[in-house]
Amino acid sequence: MTTTQDGAVATGGDRAPAPKDPKAPAGPLRSRISPASLWRTVGPIAVFVLLLVVVSVLNPSFLGGGGVTILATQAAAILFVALGQSAVLHVGSIDLSNASIGLLAAMVLALTLGPLGPIAIVLAIAVATAVGALNGVVFAVTQIPSFALTLGTLGVLQAAALVLSNATTVYVTGNTDLLAWMFGSAIAGVPAAFVLGIVLAVVFWAVLRFTRVGHGLTAVGLNESAAIFAGRRNRLLKTLAFALSGFFAGFAGLVIIAQAGAASSFGVGSDLLLPAIAAAILGGTAITGGVTNPITVVFGALTTALLPIGIATLGINAQAQSLAYGFVIILIVALTATRSRTAIIK
Amino acid sequence: MTDSDLITDGRAAGADVPVLRLRGLQKRFGQLHALKGIDLEIRRGEVVGLIGENGAGKSTLLKILTGIQPADEGTFEVNGERARFRGPRDAVAAGIGVVHQEQSLLLHLSVAENIQMHAADAGDGVRLGLYRWGRINRRAQKVLDQVGSKLDPRWRVSDLTFVERQMVEIARAVAAGTDANATPLLVLDEPTSLLEPAELAALEKEIRQIARLGSVIFVSHRLDEILRVCDRVVVMRNGEVVADRSTDAVGEDELFELMIGRAAKAPEREVRAATGEPVLEVSGLTRRGAFHDVSFAARPGRVVALVGTSGSGREAVCRAAFGAEGYDSGELKVAGRRVESWTIPKAIAAGLGYVPSERRVEGMVGGMSAIDNLSLTRSGALIAPGKQKQQASEWFERLDVRPRGPKLELERFSGGNQQKVVLAKWLKDQGLKALLLDHPLRGLDPGAGDTVKREIRTACAAGIAVVLLPDTLEEALEMADEILVLRDGGITAVYDVAVDAPTTLDLLEKQL
Repeated sequence: MTTTQDGAVATGGDRAPAPKDPKAPAGPLRSRISPASLWRTVGPIAVFVLLLVVVSVLNPSFLGGGGVTILATQAAAILFVALGQSAVLHVGSIDLSNASIGLLAAMVLALTLGPLGPIAIVLAIAVATAVGALNGVVFAVTQIPSFALTLGTLGVLQAAALVLSNATTVYVTGNTDLLAWMFGSAIAGVPAAFVLGIVLAVVFWAVLRFTRVGHGLTAVGLNESAAIFAGRRNRLLKTLAFALSGFFAGFAGLVIIAQAGAASSFGVGSDLLLPAIAAAILGGTAITGGVTNPITVVFGALTTALLPIGIATLGINAQAQSLAYGFVIILIVALTATRSRTAIIK
Repeated sequence: MTDSDLITDGRAAGADVPVLRLRGLQKRFGQLHALKGIDLEIRRGEVVGLIGENGAGKSTLLKILTGIQPADEGTFEVNGERARFRGPRDAVAAGIGVVHQEQSLLLHLSVAENIQMHAADAGDGVRLGLYRWGRINRRAQKVLDQVGSKLDPRWRVSDLTFVERQMVEIARAVAAGTDANATPLLVLDEPTSLLEPAELAALEKEIRQIARLGSVIFVSHRLDEILRVCDRVVVMRNGEVVADRSTDAVGEDELFELMIGRAAKAPEREVRAATGEPVLEVSGLTRRGAFHDVSFAARPGRVVALVGTSGSGREAVCRAAFGAEGYDSGELKVAGRRVESWTIPKAIAAGLGYVPSERRVEGMVGGMSAIDNLSLTRSGALIAPGKQKQQASEWFERLDVRPRGPKLELERFSGGNQQKVVLAKWLKDQGLKALLLDHPLRGLDPGAGDTVKREIRTACAAGIAVVLLPDTLEEALEMADEILVLRDGGITAVYDVAVDAPTTLDLLEKQL
């Protein structure tokens, strides 16, 4: 303690203890974890485990027959896009374009992996990050609502992908071994691509928890004005969130190429937007901002990938999976939203 | 004349029944006893002035009258009938219209639409769910005639001047009252504080005109105006009505004393001399429409208080000094060096801290824990949770923050304890050189208020410069070494408390 603090403690000691509200104990308080915040951590895991049990009971061969590997393979691309979406949701915005950024990255990779080799991988992620950052800069400067801005970007990126691919499927011409490790190797049956997603999620979690930048992102998401008055650079932080969204989407691009060996505007990876938002929300991310746990988003992604499998075991047409995602988003948001403070709905 | 119907109506209901009668009205907010039994009568055709310092309970009383909050105890009658308002609609239905200081018109609609917005029913203006513009405009015209306004009901409100909009507000309130088929009671909450002198005269005339239709409660800080416009003046202090006088029988000086509660005198206190180089120096600072040519210096260990009514521009000056708002001309010097394109991050890096008056909106992130709020202004890339926690515990102990749960989300603490954390956020920083405090005691219970005051003094003793925007003049006299009075964006007086301590009366006169 410094001398000023010592002095102040002495001053404080001179005062008679003020008569206070008896309901407010002065003694140390055990940190009460509110049921809501506990549920945010445990809920996504519990939902996943519950669904897994249901699926395993209905289809006993699921776990035995390499179900975990299939599940993690399906969930890998969703996880990366969902982590990116979480970054943007965390600052209270939404990025409707990030799945398309992932597809653009896949397209870039499909075109350049043959000629450029490893540089193509760096290029794909750099392009994705740059497009995300551009979203962020336009958002921060023009103050267009992120919903409208990224809806526009979505259209632009879809057109760009069509132009780049000449509206056909672009096949990788060589160097496919550079990405073979993603699904060619596995740890305990979990493909390396998904393990990479877990590692990135843990890093992202640590950034939010232990760095000033992470705290800044949280503060902007919870109360942007207060963050500004505490000297946080809100626009820079929001730009960073969008750049992160692009960065993670770039990894989804790698996953698409590793899985399909080709990219197209209508093939593998062209329908990641809705599942990724569902995964972020199932992972406990609040759409109002400031509440994100990247580690539970991993479980959100698993649940999201398990849903169509579960639907199929129930005998429902797998083509109805978007229906399930849509319902899940509405249901989870309805269950978790604090309605008391949201008199105005945007 | 159309208003004659109204007056006849009123007489028919019994002219000797007061429009409004309050008996023993009480209201508490937690430990704060905001209204301690208010008795008040407003008769027909009367213009009653309501004055009192900030925190005297005026706003609470108005909120009860206009149905925004219920009273805890006591009765109130409108036109002789017991009233119990469950919301603003009930107040409107009872014939009480209110004009706030901040305007609440919908700018993109016409004058007529705005006037009839609050009408209890649209009458023949709507048939089968469709608007009949001719009738709507005629009805609005009638109201405008009644209040003596020359505005065309078809004009868009966004094209009107401020004072014209104020007249639309008044017409709307009158329309709400007359539609209720009662004698309207118009509540004007500081409608004049932002007006120019010429506009003031027009509005005063209008208020006299309205008194012919119904009754008016007129809240203002300008005592001369109260004496000119009103028949009677009611003085509130500490949640009570302390005087109820006819304006013929009272003067400005007497009203001052009634408001303050004692003959104006400066309280005795220890005063520090102006030594040391200024940490923050403001010279000739000007922003059009907000403040002009404001100069002062904040020196280590001294408290400079800026006092003034709302609209004096002192908040804007304070925010400009912190880099939160811009200025057009003038100069800011921090630690003797002129600064350009001043922003909040730069201000914080230079050792400035700011406690905003809107605590919940600007001062704290309610959804974050108290610990995280404390470290929001920290510099450096990484955060060490252990060290953070220890520091938070120390500050919780020192400021007696209750409950002692730094991990709890800050929004779960009471207002006073939140404010202690907001203050500690700045105080904990070893590099802090100057504190800008915008109404730091607003809404605090006496205990928390004491703690905050003590911390301000401790910070001063440790050599921090303080710029204080106090809630009350007493607070300024108690805390400040130097007092600047602002009116309409300019400094009207500067007092060095060590040399010539002003009285509350001096300060009031300079700010009105």
